[in-house]
Amino acid sequence: MELVDRYLQAVKLALPKRNQDDIVQELNDSILSQVEEKEAAVGRPLNEDELVEILKKMGSPDKLASRYREQQGLIAPTVMPIYWKVLKAALGLAFLVNVIAAIVTAAAGRPLLESLLPILRYPSIAFTTFAWVTLTFVALHFFGAKFQAPEQWDPRKLPPVVKVKRGKSRAESIAALLIGAIATVWWLVGLRNPVLIMGPGVAFLTFAPIWLKLYPLWIALGIAEVARHTFEFVRPDASRQHLLLSLIPRSLSLITMVLLIRAGELFVVNPNNPALQGAIGAINYGTRLGLIIATVIALAKLLLDVWKLLAGRFQEAHEAAVGS
Amino acid sequence: MNPEVLENLRLELRRGCLIVAVLAELRQEQYGYTLRKSLAEHGIAIDEGTLYPLLRRLETQCLLASEWREQDKRNKRFYRLSPDGEVILAQLMLDWESMNSALDGILKDTGPRPPKTVEA
Repeated sequence: MELVDRYLQAVKLALPKRNQDDIVQELNDSILSQVEEKEAAVGRPLNEDELVEILKKMGSPDKLASRYREQQGLIAPTVMPIYWKVLKAALGLAFLVNVIAAIVTAAAGRPLLESLLPILRYPSIAFTTFAWVTLTFVALHFFGAKFQAPEQWDPRKLPPVVKVKRGKSRAESIAALLIGAIATVWWLVGLRNPVLIMGPGVAFLTFAPIWLKLYPLWIALGIAEVARHTFEFVRPDASRQHLLLSLIPRSLSLITMVLLIRAGELFVVNPNNPALQGAIGAINYGTRLGLIIATVIALAKLLLDVWKLLAGRFQEAHEAAVGS
Repeated sequence: MNPEVLENLRLELRRGCLIVAVLAELRQEQYGYTLRKSLAEHGIAIDEGTLYPLLRRLETQCLLASEWREQDKRNKRFYRLSPDGEVILAQLMLDWESMNSALDGILKDTGPRPPKTVEA
């Protein structure tokens, strides 16, 4: 009955939050009653095709869930799931474009505030995006356009049941997005103006040249992180894809850490103030040791997650082979 | 003939009838699956995707009352007509009878007409 669980999970995610569990429990009972009746009629357990037939008769998860929605304003409930998907994708894309603009500005050596401007401007851009998407849907509805949910959907292709709790909440995703974007811009500007990162400590110490040599890697890392957070915001329940997408920034950060470790010298004494000349060796040694430990832990975690992903794939392939 | 227009008119005609049928069937307590079967036995086929949201809507309008109970080792949600629902159903049945007899009279007076043919 894993197929039924996957179907109900997809319905639940598209339902209004208020009565999700109650509605799903009732639908579960209805599906199981149909299965029992059919099994009694044929005198054997149903095969996958027969189960798929029952689920297809229930309708696609989005379509079924949309019938539980009341008409909200000018957008019909059947169109609501499509509207939300388009709106989230548009808002996510607009954010990504703005953050990339901020990163490019920072990489071009502009001051911090100027670099952050595309991110600070995002609320007004988000409002414009929201207005355009909503107006487009209202216009399409007004002019009688028909949104046909693809009826050739296949219950076998629904995402697997997520056994743990749902992914990050919407608020967590937005916070991660904003903090990630601002931190990236701050870091890129700060590498060129170390006072932004080190504060008053810059009077004694500054970054060794290796940090700036790795500048393209920092840019790539920042973009990959923001793209990952954007995807998490747009698709909060695609936990496997979250893990898959996280491999990119994590691999990039591993490469960065290895290059930093190999560089040896990470900080240099400010030539105008050689007070820390005697301690610079210990500072570099301690930082390098910390980086080595962090790299080993990050590598172990990365390998473990890759293993989990591969094991999940193998298990699914095995279940599909046994089921067919 | 535009098949889309016909389909829309049929849906409109059916929508009101379905509500009366569901309310009438729930004068006796039932859960969703048995209700659907009983409607089908009376010639009113309705899919789950229409029936369950309709039950929720009628409950929100206080025409139905429901409770979860265990039957056959499974929890089921049982629906029945509420006191408000009984009053509304009685009124709807009166309206239905009056509408039905009026419509009967109109259809008998006029009879079905063949579609007009347009000459070139």
